[in-house]
Amino acid sequence: MPRTGVFICHCGTNIAGTVDIEKAVEASRNFPGVVHAADYRYLCSEMGQDLIKKAIVDNQLDRVVVGTCSPRMHEGTFRKAAAEAGLNPYLLEVANIREHCSWVHKDIEEATPKAISLLRAAAAKAVLNESLDAPELEVEKRALVIGGGIAGIQAAIDIAEAGYEVDVVEREPSIGGRMAQLEKTFPTLDCSACILTPKMVEAAQHPNVNLITYSEVEEVKGFVGQFDVKIRQKARSVDPVKCTGCGICYEKCPSKASSEFEMGLSKRKAIYIPFPQAVPNVPVIDRDACLYFTKGRCQICEKECPPQAIVYDQEDEIFERRYGTIIVATGFDQMNPSQYGEYGYGQHPDILTGLEFERLFNASGPTGGKVVRLSDGKPPEKVVFIQCVGSRDKARGMNYCSKICCMYTAKQAILLKEKVPDAKSYVFYIDVRTAGKGYEEFQRRAAEEYDVAYLRGQVGKIFPDGDHLVVHGVDSLSGKIIEIKADMVVLAAASIARADSPELGRIVGINSDSYHFFNEAHPKLKPVETHTAGVFIAGACQAPKDIPDTVAQASAAAVKAVGLLSKEFLKGEACTAEVNQAECSGCLYCEAVCPYSAISPVEIEERYQGGTLKRTVAEVNPALCQGCGSCTVICRSGSINLKGFSNEQILAEVDAICLQR
Amino acid sequence: MAERNLEQLEKIREVVSQDLLSGRIELLLGWEKGHYWWQSRPLFARSKDDLAKLTWDSFCAVNLSRYLLEELKDHQKVGVLVKGCDSRAFNRLLQDNMVERDRVVLYGLPCPGILDYKLLAAEAGPELKGIAEENGKIVLKTASGEVEVKRDQFLMAKCRECLYPDPVVYDQMLLEPQGKKEAPERFKAVDELETLTPEERFAYWEKELSRCLRCYACRQACPYCSCRECFVEQENPRWQGRAYQPSENFLFHLVRAYHGAGRCIDCGECQRACPVDIPLQELNRKLIKDINELYGDYEAGLDAELEPPLLTYRPDDPAAFSEK
Ligand SMILES: Cc1cc2nc3c(=O)[nH]c(=O)nc-3n(C[C@H](O)[C@H](O)[C@H](O)COP(=O)(O)OP(=O)(O)OC[C@H]3O[C@@H](n4cnc5c(N)ncnc54)[C@H](O)[C@@H]3O)c2cc1C
Ligand code: SF4
Ligand code: SF4
Repeated sequence: MPRTGVFICHCGTNIAGTVDIEKAVEASRNFPGVVHAADYRYLCSEMGQDLIKKAIVDNQLDRVVVGTCSPRMHEGTFRKAAAEAGLNPYLLEVANIREHCSWVHKDIEEATPKAISLLRAAAAKAVLNESLDAPELEVEKRALVIGGGIAGIQAAIDIAEAGYEVDVVEREPSIGGRMAQLEKTFPTLDCSACILTPKMVEAAQHPNVNLITYSEVEEVKGFVGQFDVKIRQKARSVDPVKCTGCGICYEKCPSKASSEFEMGLSKRKAIYIPFPQAVPNVPVIDRDACLYFTKGRCQICEKECPPQAIVYDQEDEIFERRYGTIIVATGFDQMNPSQYGEYGYGQHPDILTGLEFERLFNASGPTGGKVVRLSDGKPPEKVVFIQCVGSRDKARGMNYCSKICCMYTAKQAILLKEKVPDAKSYVFYIDVRTAGKGYEEFQRRAAEEYDVAYLRGQVGKIFPDGDHLVVHGVDSLSGKIIEIKADMVVLAAASIARADSPELGRIVGINSDSYHFFNEAHPKLKPVETHTAGVFIAGACQAPKDIPDTVAQASAAAVKAVGLLSKEFLKGEACTAEVNQAECSGCLYCEAVCPYSAISPVEIEERYQGGTLKRTVAEVNPALCQGCGSCTVICRSGSINLKGFSNEQILAEVDAICLQR
Repeated sequence: MAERNLEQLEKIREVVSQDLLSGRIELLLGWEKGHYWWQSRPLFARSKDDLAKLTWDSFCAVNLSRYLLEELKDHQKVGVLVKGCDSRAFNRLLQDNMVERDRVVLYGLPCPGILDYKLLAAEAGPELKGIAEENGKIVLKTASGEVEVKRDQFLMAKCRECLYPDPVVYDQMLLEPQGKKEAPERFKAVDELETLTPEERFAYWEKELSRCLRCYACRQACPYCSCRECFVEQENPRWQGRAYQPSENFLFHLVRAYHGAGRCIDCGECQRACPVDIPLQELNRKLIKDINELYGDYEAGLDAELEPPLLTYRPDDPAAFSEK
């Protein structure tokens, strides 16, 4: 019989407040196999761990049960302590008597017997615990960044600077993301392109960075250290090696389509680069707009291209690469506010979203940098900004605050005043939120020095009246009805997750919140980690955020990635599945349900009536197995078992709880 | 005697004896008459002489596909006569990797439904000596004369709600197919059970299952039970207690039913094999119904290429249990 020691933690009053520790210790002494039982105020402390280590040695313990918080918190801590005392760490078992007991009960009379039951179950399981070894796995010394906005660019540069190769997969023809669409940036009003372009170029020129633009990730297999990723590089129809970026093709191209980069406010050619500073500076042919692809004639670009870089018959290329780690940095979208009928978005050319308005300031934008009404080309005199369109709206939109709108609205109002000195801005707001270094000062400047009128209240209706847009609102401070004859309306539409984020999350194996923003592993302590080891998130794909926060998070994710890549090898999963091949019937249902493709068929030979018989059974590759246990559940004959969580162990726990009197 | 269609029998015999003689198959799984006239039992025919015993009558209930599990160990190529349900059982085995398709020759026999001797005897009395059949009628022969009755009132329970009397997979169809049938009352018993309170339902099953002898005849007849060692017999861990008591009976039948979730082909062999008439099909059909409702309509055994719902994951699967 093994010699088990039971250690019960008070966790201050977290456990001791609801569980009678003395009783639990006494009860533990009578569990089968238990030769030692003790308690301590904080077992996870240095002293607490020493207490366990000493007891292991003094009492020749070969099994340890700790009654503490969730194994997610401190299983690692205690396993390490056990190992330091010479015990295989997997011989230690955690009974979660905090989250599963003391925290969810109030009555000590009820919680105490439950804690004892949980301890008894853990002790029964521990008796069946076996020494396990985690395999050592190689780390592919290359990172993948998905999304080439400022988050992806920053993370890639940081990883590259640390000396590791990094691939950036960007869906659009150019990297840059939303930041490339911005004019100037709060709170310092430096020009977005001026600070972004050097970063884009640095990434492009860095010997360790490999930009894979106009591409998407189609499949991710494998696990931390060895992700096998299938990437689809869409056909550009232009040979990037030959192309010199001269731009003659898009100058001559006769066919036009709506420009995605300009939010549909202007046209681009069928062969195009999204914006002048695009990286790489290699055009793509939009085959839906190209005359040659749609009607079979034209080919002007091919004739005009000096280095003959046009390749009409280029095809999508799918290739597979292995990466040690993945950073997801796919950013955000702006909500289409047309569902808010009262604001009339989409029904009048002078009602714009924040991002559309931003483009009017830009010298290469739809108006050549003149802030004018799209309806008649005249500069606006009165502009109404409406905050929280779709944000903080439980009933019709998103519950959350989009975080950036108060600040970019102040920015846009300032920029407007600088471009059109006669213009007057009105901002309808619920609250003005300006937490951030220099933010409050920036917003105050807008109000005080740039004559921006902040009106606390909501807009009920906007309707056209002749040349104007009449904005009907209520000032909630004075209760007065406000009516403004505006020339333009700018809606601070909510920042939302990219439409394809659930799909991407599924491919990469990370989950998202109810708004489809990717979830971090812990809101405070693991802000860039995900629940999938080796996959990190950065930027606005996690939640709406501004550039400073995005960049900080990107560097944080890069450090995590680099930390991983710098390891010689990773400790794999010790609790892996194992097939009892004599019993396995070879149905291979386990193969079908294994999310990590860790199971494959093998042929074995068996003795049968003097001769032998070949048959197929299942086999687990322990390097791929992540110990999820799906296979053990689907196997009807219980022929596949998870080490550390075997059927025997689980049943022993059930019996320990159910058969007690 | 229980003669039905000698012409059909001759045709079957002709085809299979050719194949047996030519060596296309080494063994034919068919039926022969049993001890009583109302019993037809499996025939393992290896020669022409063996085939003389072949029968095809209204009592060929036994599902022959399941015998492949053993017979394929000793024979390279086996021929099987399959009714609709036998063919779906074959698909079950195929999907479970229990048989290799190219080592089996399936001879399709569209099935008019198997007769239930108990019902016939109840109608005719104990002196029932035999029956004759024509045009959907049965003539019951007793010492005191002959009575004509309608055939479909004497079908086995498992055949009354059969949707697919024609084989769904075969190499050669030997008789004229009859097309898909309607089974409007397939889930009637389940629907009724669902209206009961949990306590009433528990009481119902406690009563039914208390009769279980744990003879495991249901398991032996079942095409989805193909484990090499059934959980009930495993020693470590010992899932199933040996005690003969309701809770252990519950455990056996519930676990077995769950093993059939999305896999049970609803052939009813379990219920037919049960010596104490436990309505096992109700249990299986409850799971079939649940699977259909939770994952979309799925008929196990119809198409071996269609993966069972519990083995697939599609992002557009209907909502999880917890969201229902
Ligand atoms: C109107 C407006 C004004 C703003 N003004 C300011 C400001 O003045 N100052 C400030 O600090 N912040 C400002 N912001 C916020 C700023 O835009 C964001 O903080 C920043 O863009 C977030 O960067 P990101 O890299 O996380 O996401 P993004 O910029 O959205 O970049 C994500 C990138 O990933 C790519 N991608 C998406 N999905 C995939 C996929 N499946 N596969 C491959 N690639 C993919 C996209 O094409 C894109 O290139 C403003 C935002 C708006 C809307
Ligand atoms: S599910 Fe079980 S029986 Fe089927 S192949 Fe896997 S281990 Fe073998
Ligand atoms: S526990 Fe089973 S299903 Fe899970 S990863 Fe390992 S082999 Fe695959």
